[in-house]
Amino acid sequence: MAMLEIRDLESGYGEVQILWGVDLSLEKGKLTSLVGANGVGKTTLLRSIMGTLRPWKGSIELKGQKIGHLPAHRKADLGLVLVPEGRQLFSNMSVHENLEMGATNKRSRDHVERNLERVYELFPRLQEREKQSAGTLSGGEQQMLAVARGLMAEPEILMFDELSLGLAPVLVLNLFQTLRRLKDEGLTMLLVEQNVHMALSVSDYAYVLSGGKVTLEGPAKEVAEDKEVQAAYLGM
Amino acid sequence: MLDILLPSLADGLLLGFVYGLAAMGLTLIWGVMDVINLSHGPIIALGMYGIYLTFTNLGLNPYLAIILVAIAGLLLGVLIYGVAVHRVINAPHLSTLLATFSVNMILIGIGTAVFTTTPRNIDFSLGSVTMGPITLPGKRIAAALAALLVTGLLYLFLYRSRPGKHIRAVTDNRAAAELMGIRSSMILALSFGLGTMLAAISGGLIATFFPFTILSGGGYELKSFVIGVLGGLGNPLGALLGGLILGALEGIIPVFMKTTWVPVLEFILFVLILLIRPSGLLGKKS
Repeated sequence: MAMLEIRDLESGYGEVQILWGVDLSLEKGKLTSLVGANGVGKTTLLRSIMGTLRPWKGSIELKGQKIGHLPAHRKADLGLVLVPEGRQLFSNMSVHENLEMGATNKRSRDHVERNLERVYELFPRLQEREKQSAGTLSGGEQQMLAVARGLMAEPEILMFDELSLGLAPVLVLNLFQTLRRLKDEGLTMLLVEQNVHMALSVSDYAYVLSGGKVTLEGPAKEVAEDKEVQAAYLGM
Repeated sequence: MLDILLPSLADGLLLGFVYGLAAMGLTLIWGVMDVINLSHGPIIALGMYGIYLTFTNLGLNPYLAIILVAIAGLLLGVLIYGVAVHRVINAPHLSTLLATFSVNMILIGIGTAVFTTTPRNIDFSLGSVTMGPITLPGKRIAAALAALLVTGLLYLFLYRSRPGKHIRAVTDNRAAAELMGIRSSMILALSFGLGTMLAAISGGLIATFFPFTILSGGGYELKSFVIGVLGGLGNPLGALLGGLILGALEGIIPVFMKTTWVPVLEFILFVLILLIRPSGLLGKKS
């Protein structure tokens, strides 16, 4: 069953059109990746899904319900959650407060304690640093906090924008192991990555975005074996 | 010398708490939404009239009337935000400056028409307290205590309540706060309301011991700028510290020279801070 179904989505900024008819669907409980070079519209697509950017045309359906026109806070209530590029933590607030802010939407705001326990179990390091302000954490810890803050919202769909950017390979590996665990728990996820190799190795299904359009899709293994993808993104 | 200096300094410091409160309102709005509220002055003056009118017409105790003035200030701020500020909130600073300046002119215009510019004062006494060589008027002490109480409540609100934490989150990173589902426009309206509430409260407290007109707010608005920059714009505790420094100066300077030198030295301090430490005493280096 498709959790999220995007059809013929067009969007952009001002006069500049970035997305030229994107079709994409996320299957329940699967980890889907969206890969592509810098500037092809990956972040624009995420912003359109999240409602911080208004889609110009096309439809976005969450579990069969049209949601393209809803403002960002209503989409948050429905469980669409984004871990944004560059983490975007509340750097002057404590780790604990960042997590609390993650649980702002209607579905999660009454279960803060329960969700805190869950994310601290997933990232014990964060519990040790609970009182520290987020800006003083190391890069890896900040990314953990960004993921944990996303989980606090009880996501229906959790999306990651450039999760691996600027992190040491060993930290990326750890985070991807966490993603696998979340997938085993049945969470639907969308991984948007420039790190194509990593993304394809961990995903079930993959889309390749190029020039504001999906140019290739299929099971991640098949996409990884595609000659053009190998030449363009995997350096083979 | 000391027998003049000490009481004067203590007097100034008490006043400093109230100045700090006014500056806190200005700096809170700046910190949350990068808007310099040029209608700060007339709102301080309206706070003065709020206390004056409830005292002279209803005989209400000024310190109880402060609660009414606070509520009215909060609502007025939310209204000003909704009418004048929200539509230009993402525009360049000049737009928000002009918008709040327009509100400033409107409030002063209406205020002058309704209240005229005849000076008013609130006639009541709380006696005085004598500690060793220092005798302090009761009204100044009460105002300082009220300002401290309001500061404490503001901190409790910002650090303990959900809407308060949302204000801090929007201050820190508005885009991220919106992603979490925080409705930033409501938080901005609330913050603007709190900023004007603090201005109105400080005005009300000042009115218990200084005479005033509808134009009196302007001077306190300028003091709020100096204090805000001194303490570090966007930092409420810095505003309190800056208020105390400015209050102390106002206590000390008249002992050595004419009172007319007070604003001169205050603004020289302002320029010095901008030159030497533009982020303010408690501000973050940016």
